[in-house]
Amino acid sequence: MTLMMRAVLLVIAQIIVLLAVSPFIVGLIRKVKARLQLRRGASVFQPYADLAKLFRKQPVVSTTTTWIFTATPYIVFASTLAAGLLVPVFTSTIPLNFAGNIIALVYLFALGTFFLILAGLDAGSAFGGMGSSREAIVASLTEPAMIMSIFAIALTTGSTNLSTIVHKTALLEGIVTDPSPHLMALAALFIVALAETGRVPVDNPATHLELTMIHEAMALEYSGRYLALVEWAAGLKLLVFLTLIANIFAPWGIATNMEPTALGIGLAIYLMKVSGLAVLIGAVESMFAKLRLFRVTDFLGLAFILALLGMIFFYVLRG
Amino acid sequence: MSLLTPHVGSQLVDLGSAVLLLICFAIVAQRRLSACVDLFALQSVFLAATAALVAFLTGIHHIYAAALLTLIIKAIVIPRILRKVIERLNVTRELVMNVNVPAGLLICGGLVMLAFFITQPIIPLGFLLTRDSLAIALAIVLIGFFTMIARKKAVTQVIGFLVMENGVFLGAAAAAYGMPLIVELGVFFDVLVGALIIGIYTHRLQDAFDSVDTGRLTTLKE
Repeated sequence: MTLMMRAVLLVIAQIIVLLAVSPFIVGLIRKVKARLQLRRGASVFQPYADLAKLFRKQPVVSTTTTWIFTATPYIVFASTLAAGLLVPVFTSTIPLNFAGNIIALVYLFALGTFFLILAGLDAGSAFGGMGSSREAIVASLTEPAMIMSIFAIALTTGSTNLSTIVHKTALLEGIVTDPSPHLMALAALFIVALAETGRVPVDNPATHLELTMIHEAMALEYSGRYLALVEWAAGLKLLVFLTLIANIFAPWGIATNMEPTALGIGLAIYLMKVSGLAVLIGAVESMFAKLRLFRVTDFLGLAFILALLGMIFFYVLRG
Repeated sequence: MSLLTPHVGSQLVDLGSAVLLLICFAIVAQRRLSACVDLFALQSVFLAATAALVAFLTGIHHIYAAALLTLIIKAIVIPRILRKVIERLNVTRELVMNVNVPAGLLICGGLVMLAFFITQPIIPLGFLLTRDSLAIALAIVLIGFFTMIARKKAVTQVIGFLVMENGVFLGAAAAAYGMPLIVELGVFFDVLVGALIIGIYTHRLQDAFDSVDTGRLTTLKE
């Protein structure tokens, strides 16, 4: 097998894994929450059925909308998937490493968020506009925290390429490169992940109550295959964040070479790690109440300060 | 214990110290009093674990005793006293502070930087067990002090005081491999009595002003 073919196969494998696992993660979180509320809950495979049903339905598009409304689901889905390809999933050396680093990753997410905000405004409904304005607040507060936390990690490993970061950390002896900055960055990135993917302390994915919703409000006008794409992209974004957290902070077990057995073990361990994180998120969502919108700034401010501290730890103590 | 090399051990101590600092920030950001007490108890558990780790790494046995005392007094007894106080006073959350939460977080970030710059010349002397714990200990003391200044309710001021004490204990364990046991015992007794006195003082405050806001004390005049 030539090197080129192997790279192409790896990229295809990564796309398939990301697309196939993301609805499962969404279903798993719902199941955990249901069990913690002493309900039986739907099967963890329910989101697959939901997506399949939505793809078969005919979409209804308001006559007042422009091309932005119909283009957005494709842009959101494609940008999120592209972001997912920059993250090492089950092998630390990814073929698309040259294509972009963590800064590209952050702004691929931002591109999707930007178009979703526009689409929320495009239909002209009051809820969409409300959701868009809230999403803009949250996005503008998470972006600096996310950049800072990722820079803190990049500083300790000396590279902004995710593949290099994960590869270096995976081959290391000891726990991680540098525990204190990493812990601060991990806490910040976890808060950012909760906020960016619309999980509980910031947004509630399980409700369509107009007073609280953020992401759901923007997606309210969508139906049929457009809705399916927006929902799938949301699940994908969640999975990419979990992958990022799992592989940067706990890269143990990830495949560091191209042997088929190493790849298989890497994939199995990856599935265990993201499932564990999904269970954790389900537990967090059950334990905490949603914050009032005006308290979200406190929560995200905390993330920013922690990420900043991670960087300062590095500069002051190692500089 | 071939897995626990000195390098990994000192990394774990750093990690434990960083967890303590993280919990400090959670306390600063938290408005609910009962959650503040829970966070303090959690911090004390991690402090005991870190101290036990230091004891294991250095082979100094009396730090184990200090860790055990931390676990019993600071993670169980004092939080229980504070919860009783909160229950009796019927205060649940702090709505007005001298410094609001985002500004408080920024100030605490500044305090951590200050602590790092102050301790920087000490690190190259090389007698410290780890690189970060002394700086973090000083940062925790400063944040505890800041909590006492920034909050108005007597209960959160007590928590600030206790957090300060946790910082001192971490500093002693990480930099000086623990104080002599007799000093530790004295400190624990002081902290316990201090928490009790402040508990009674809060009740008196509540009786006199129908509030545990210490700002009201300025109206005390002859």
